[in-house]
Amino acid sequence: MQVTIQTFIGGMSLGAIYALVAMGFSLVYRTMGLVNFAHGNVVMVGAYLASTFFLSTRLPFALAMVVAIGATGVVGVVIERALRPLENKDFDLMLIGTIGFGIVLEALAIIIWGATGHAVPSPVPVPPLDILGVRVRTYDLMVLGIAAAATAALMLFLQRTKRGAAMQAVAMDHEAATAVGIHVGRSNAIAFVIGAALAALAGGLVGPMLYVNPSMGGSLGIKGFAGAVLGGFGSIPGAIIGGLVIGVLDSFAAGHFQGYSELVLFVVFTVIIMIRPTGIFGEKTVNRA
Amino acid sequence: MRYRYRLATLGLAGVAAWLLPYGLDSYAIHVVDVMLLFAILAVGLGLAMGIAGQINLAQVAFFGVGAYATAILTTRAGLGFWTAAALAMVATAVVGLVVGIPALRMQSHYLGIVTLGLALAFTNWVTNAQIAGGAEGITAIPAPRFPGVDLSSEYLFYYLELILFAAALAFGLFVVHTPLGRRMRAMRDDALAAGAVGAEVPMLRMTAFLVASLYGGVAGVLYAGLIRYVAPDTFSIGNMFLLLAMVIIGGRQNLVGCVVGAVGLVVVRELLIDYPTYAQVAYGSVVVLTVVFAPTGLAGLPSRIRAVLRRRAPVTPALGAFEPYPAATAGVEPSVLTVDGVSKQFRGLRALSNVSLSVAAGEIRGIVGPNGSGKTTLFNIVSGFYRPSVGRVLLDGRVISGARPYRLAQAGIARTFQNLRLFRDLTVADNILVALDRTRTTWTWRYLFWPIGIVRHDRSLRAEADRVLGRFGLADFAGIRPGALSYGIQRRVEVARAMARAPRLLLLDEPAAGLNGEEVRQLGEIVRSIRASGVTVVIIEHNMGLVMSLCDRITVLAGGAVIADGTPAEVVTAPQVIEAYLGDSAMSHDVPITVEVT
Repeated sequence: MQVTIQTFIGGMSLGAIYALVAMGFSLVYRTMGLVNFAHGNVVMVGAYLASTFFLSTRLPFALAMVVAIGATGVVGVVIERALRPLENKDFDLMLIGTIGFGIVLEALAIIIWGATGHAVPSPVPVPPLDILGVRVRTYDLMVLGIAAAATAALMLFLQRTKRGAAMQAVAMDHEAATAVGIHVGRSNAIAFVIGAALAALAGGLVGPMLYVNPSMGGSLGIKGFAGAVLGGFGSIPGAIIGGLVIGVLDSFAAGHFQGYSELVLFVVFTVIIMIRPTGIFGEKTVNRA
Repeated sequence: MRYRYRLATLGLAGVAAWLLPYGLDSYAIHVVDVMLLFAILAVGLGLAMGIAGQINLAQVAFFGVGAYATAILTTRAGLGFWTAAALAMVATAVVGLVVGIPALRMQSHYLGIVTLGLALAFTNWVTNAQIAGGAEGITAIPAPRFPGVDLSSEYLFYYLELILFAAALAFGLFVVHTPLGRRMRAMRDDALAAGAVGAEVPMLRMTAFLVASLYGGVAGVLYAGLIRYVAPDTFSIGNMFLLLAMVIIGGRQNLVGCVVGAVGLVVVRELLIDYPTYAQVAYGSVVVLTVVFAPTGLAGLPSRIRAVLRRRAPVTPALGAFEPYPAATAGVEPSVLTVDGVSKQFRGLRALSNVSLSVAAGEIRGIVGPNGSGKTTLFNIVSGFYRPSVGRVLLDGRVISGARPYRLAQAGIARTFQNLRLFRDLTVADNILVALDRTRTTWTWRYLFWPIGIVRHDRSLRAEADRVLGRFGLADFAGIRPGALSYGIQRRVEVARAMARAPRLLLLDEPAAGLNGEEVRQLGEIVRSIRASGVTVVIIEHNMGLVMSLCDRITVLAGGAVIADGTPAEVVTAPQVIEAYLGDSAMSHDVPITVEVT
């Protein structure tokens, strides 16, 4: 029982990371219809930047994160500018274009930081808390807290600010949004920057939990995307729930199936998505003839 | 002349390929052997992605299944190489069909993530499974034996690969240019419209994955025989993306382009072998540049350059006159359509409520009503795109509601679409050819065992297509893509495509929208001739002049319900119709209503 609860909490904190990644996917997708397959690699870049600033320049962890988030946002802008000609035109080509960016980012990371990667010490060196006999890592709680705060901030931005409302409008109908004077290109760029910032946050937070290496983007990106799809692609609450579910699933699969955990995770994901392609919160799409 | 030129090029390429090993050292021949494997994989991926439009990021897993199955069966089960190879092909085909199942439910990016996930699951399995040798892989796979030829020599193995590669490319090109490939391309451009012209979309998607997996299997078996060692790294996601880059840079819709992409990237990779990460930056950037600036890849460049050079205004071909159908011959029975108490609910919106109507054989029925009154929803139910929430639809007394669109198309229903759904990357002639083909997908076994039958069938289809194009006056446009044509001509192509099905019930959704006066007159003529040839016609139209002059009876819909049904003269005087069109009659009672019936 204790092991189950411990696995569950570990899965939740991993899931919070996936949820941040999934929110980035969903935000970009709903605003501009683009599935950013390079998103996982953006997470990897964020992880490297945060850990590099944290380890080599001895910045406090929080400050290192802020710098990393800013720098990663620039990467987001570059991707968005490059692929802008394809926006709202060809989904499949855009998808492949972002895969191209992913390939480039991974290679650049190898050139800059080397192929081996490095471990990041936990920024909160407190021993695990003991709550009713269940040992909980303090860092896990911190991750959950930061992820919840970031989610709340994003929701407030989308629902309470003019710029956020404009982005919601672009998500619903980009042509109508243009007609009422919203700059769709700028709105898309902002979505991409926020997506990249969320990715950097996820990357910075995941650094002390996993080993930071150039190929970490692949599995993080795919699991985050799986979370977004599971929750209902394009839905922000869906992304959070989906990310948490994938995290918990991942954690239990790792416990029960050891090396085969990825196999089990992806097969289970495929089956769920086959049964309900629109995810938990997804709108049922109607074919228009 | 052009044919002979091509044949000469092909012959030269063959001779060059045959003589190639004489000029290569042992390392270079190894590179060339690997290059051919990638070329086979790229052709398979091109067929699935470029031709059938199925995002397949599991091609490298198909490759792996073929290689690992051969390795396991030869080393663990002690089978001979060729027996193992045959079984490995079966295993790959089964895996291909399993990976293809999600394509029945999802497309585009969803399919991308699922196939990518399954590919990761495969590498995860081989890295961990005892039987697959774990991370170390399987060594000492026996060399394939062939009487009189020592296939452990990479020089001689080259010839085995060359023959299989040539066969694989030839088969791929044969598929693309014959009915199966045409249907796949139609499905890629517009899956809904493909269903409406009788293409069995689910079966076609599975076929695409099956074909892609067979190419992966061939490459995998050859890899096992060539390298005689398999390890998980070869089948990683990195190599999947490399393969994808080959197909995109070469041109995904052109199989020869895919081969060029594979050859080019393998050569570049060899040149930059000391700087693999820089090579990765380079091909990743080229992929981005390709999708933005040259979506058709290298293969599309010649035609783009030609288009730039040939800036002169092209001779605009003229739309020919419609040649009326011969009057109905005995044996062709137009259909009777009955809609029985149909309602359709979309969440909170009731689009249709309790609609009943029956259309007699050989009638022209008009359906009119204000925008949003449910006319197109009714068509979508009759043609199988929607299932009714309540009620049923009968064709000649048989219940058809709930059947898939392609089944209904095969049963004799053809339709056009309000917003034109032509296959945009197919020529006008190909658009017609897709609709003319009445074979089922199961018919495609002939591709493997009776290709002559395919060639004959294709030839007869082309002759028939020429007749259809001629009848609709479209002969001059046969080789042009629909996007380059004026709106009116596109409308006529869509009617021609629907009639190519030789339907018994034709549904026309606002066929006169966007047409000028003369084109509307011609349309009327065409529809009358279609009816006279023994087809029941149901037409949604806002052009009242056309509806009044053309239709035998008119059904008026408003707010999802039938508010009037009768001859044109009856309908225009019905008070509820006037109210629906002009507002409350109490407000307009002093306006004298005169509707001219032309």
